[in-house]
Amino acid sequence: MKILVALKRVADPDNANKVKIPASGEKIDTTGLEWKPNPFDEYALEAALRLTENGTQPKVRAGEVVVVTFGPKETETTLRAALATGADRAIRVDASDDKLDGDLVARALKALVEKEKPDVVLMGKQAVDGDSNQVGQILAELLDWPMATFAATIREEAGALLVGREVDGGVSTLRVKLPAVVTVDLRIVAPTSVYSTKTPSTHKYNDGVRFAALPAIMAAKKKPLVEVKLADLAPDQALKVSYHGFAAPPARKAGIKVKDVSELVSKLKNEAKVL
Amino acid sequence: MPPLIEQSFTKALFHGVIAEDMIFPYPEMTSEERQSTSIILDSVRRFFAANVDSAKIDREQEIPKEVMDGLRSLGLFGLQIPTEYGGIGLSTAAYVRVMQEIGGMDASIAVTLGAHQSIGYKSLLLFGTPEQKRRYLPKLATGESVAAFALTEPSAGSDAAAIKTRAEVVDGGAAYVLNGSKIWITNGGFADVFTVFARTSALEEGSKPKITAFIVERGMGVTSGPNEHKLGIRGSSTTEIFLENVRVPRENVVGDVGKGFKVAMEVLNSGRLGLASGCVGVCKTLLRLAIARVEERRAFGRNIGDFGLIKDKIARMLAETYALESMTYLTAGLVDSKIADYSLESAICKVKGSETLWSVVNETLQIAAGIGYMQEYPYERILRDSRVNLIFEGTNEILRCFIALSGMAAPGKALAEVAKAMREPIKGFGLLSDFALRKARAALGRERMTRVHPLLGREAVIFEEYVSELAVQAENVLRKHGRDIAEMQFTQLRIADMVMDLFAVAACLTRTTRAIERRGEDGARREIDLCSLYLNMAHKRLRQNVSDFARNDDELRKAIAGRAYIDGAYPFDVL
Repeated sequence: MKILVALKRVADPDNANKVKIPASGEKIDTTGLEWKPNPFDEYALEAALRLTENGTQPKVRAGEVVVVTFGPKETETTLRAALATGADRAIRVDASDDKLDGDLVARALKALVEKEKPDVVLMGKQAVDGDSNQVGQILAELLDWPMATFAATIREEAGALLVGREVDGGVSTLRVKLPAVVTVDLRIVAPTSVYSTKTPSTHKYNDGVRFAALPAIMAAKKKPLVEVKLADLAPDQALKVSYHGFAAPPARKAGIKVKDVSELVSKLKNEAKVL
Repeated sequence: MPPLIEQSFTKALFHGVIAEDMIFPYPEMTSEERQSTSIILDSVRRFFAANVDSAKIDREQEIPKEVMDGLRSLGLFGLQIPTEYGGIGLSTAAYVRVMQEIGGMDASIAVTLGAHQSIGYKSLLLFGTPEQKRRYLPKLATGESVAAFALTEPSAGSDAAAIKTRAEVVDGGAAYVLNGSKIWITNGGFADVFTVFARTSALEEGSKPKITAFIVERGMGVTSGPNEHKLGIRGSSTTEIFLENVRVPRENVVGDVGKGFKVAMEVLNSGRLGLASGCVGVCKTLLRLAIARVEERRAFGRNIGDFGLIKDKIARMLAETYALESMTYLTAGLVDSKIADYSLESAICKVKGSETLWSVVNETLQIAAGIGYMQEYPYERILRDSRVNLIFEGTNEILRCFIALSGMAAPGKALAEVAKAMREPIKGFGLLSDFALRKARAALGRERMTRVHPLLGREAVIFEEYVSELAVQAENVLRKHGRDIAEMQFTQLRIADMVMDLFAVAACLTRTTRAIERRGEDGARREIDLCSLYLNMAHKRLRQNVSDFARNDDELRKAIAGRAYIDGAYPFDVL
């Protein structure tokens, strides 16, 4: 199986208070931010690795995982980390973060998919910075491929994937024929969430994503990482989304302590006016 | 041709010479190495977060086997071993950065890994033959075998020349038989490969012994005593080791026969840097804890962070940590640029590192106050873990003497040369070494630090002033005491403290200059402020030290101590 995983780097969500907006409110100031891979995309990579191996022999790769990201040169760190973890090849689409939207990324990915011909495109259900939640869906539409979003479990079958999705009140299970686009939710990295046809169903993975050992990190320096121009994938770089302004959320006011329930009810009614 | 004094930035300071080209621009990793190091750190953090429980390691006095195996499979045992021998092949800067991270997370693990590779097998990297490297490094790189450094003996700690462990030639020179014991050997309980130092000449009072370094496998007959119970780093194994008729083939001599002292010194020179980097890591962890505590704890209706005495502590801790980090990575850069002599710089990093950490951990525990003292919280453990750094790999007292005496050796020689040249003016001047010539040059005018950014002009001038002051004081005490300087420890302390502050300030100046050049004055505001504050703190100490050369109570202190030794105790009671 060949899988294309789309990764995005985001400002470290654990240090969200470092995100600054200049007084003009016209953009987000990214200087001094620490970057991390979007957690949902890391989960997608983990799912892709599980689908291309026998879980009992993770060092033997059975399939190909190609990772792609959009961004400036520095985003190659995200790709190198993915290569160290087990991906085979990487592609960086040279682009500037603020000249992209979900539609343009999906159109460029479509061109890339047509060139790479993967069996599956995997990505996080959304990036934790913009939270747009669009690229997977638009891509499936453009490719006219079946799609499963917010996957919590994936089981490989011959020519298809059985995808479990947690929905309100239960789990919906979809069988998508390959090729397909799948976006993943956080439970995809639980110990029994993903099984390739090679992994015995008794196998349990470690919880969470795997991380690279140091020799693999050094070896990943030699894995192929190519740069592609955005214009070569998407000649029309017009954006559908335009931003009118940025503002930090209002600072939270300090809370208060109430004596008892009746005081709480009275405050909610008379001061907060929510009852 | 005598060596140029530019072989060591710090030694040059003793001549009043500022060899600024050695430290400008502030060194940094290549972008490729920064990238791979950041990925390594990410893996290390994830592994520790998922697997390492430091409170449990401390309580049970053991690093669990699964954790040790995890560290092995992660590749943390062969960080600086070249890839051709199965290691990771990190530069010194990257190695130091990784050890910083580990030090900041768990001291027992940091000490175990450090004893293995900062010193344990370092002699093989520095002096090993290709055959020795092929034989030992691959297994050491994977952690299949673990190394230990065995120098200290019951009667020979920092005084390596007093080593009693003997190595006798047998089988017509084909092998040596070693007898003796070593104490306080980190990893002693389970190490497979020991770098052992033994005398290959007779023990004679007053004569300099010949020490030789050997690679000794446990299987050759090394036995260990039980694990010692320690104040801190309790998960690490510290034991005595015994060598009883241990036969070691000649091929296992590391370096030249009789040159073991040099091997030991070189290993320790580089090992001390690893220790300093661990201190940087713990300081950063402590600052996170301290700042979080300050924001959460309220007193008198305010956050305690509002109080001046807390702000003072936080500011000083930041400035001291900035200086320590600056000098540690400056020294790592010097090592990577293959300069000949970084012995003083790494010794300074060790002393400053352990003392900065001790002050930062003490202040952090003080800020945490009541909870700081309680075992449920990490403060007291970190405090206990930190204490050993002032002691091992050369006590800070010994290292101060080393820094002062080693730094003054060349000026002392230059003085003798100048005196000789003056007696034979025509012949003599042609023979003047670089040292003496530079001394003559420095006498013509103060050396300048020209590459510092103009925004740091005030700081640079103070630095220059005290470099020249150091050279003057060093010359004065050498003229006054001559060879007896070796006995003048009060004087050595002042010299050492001055030069340590000067190196720290120089490191701050070059690093802050780079920050300003990269990001401008506003972008480098934090660095500029920390550099200024550190300089102010160092300036006070420098001024005090200079004035103490002229007026001090050294003799009074000696007299008091001397009487106390006779009294055997504090001599008074109010009864």
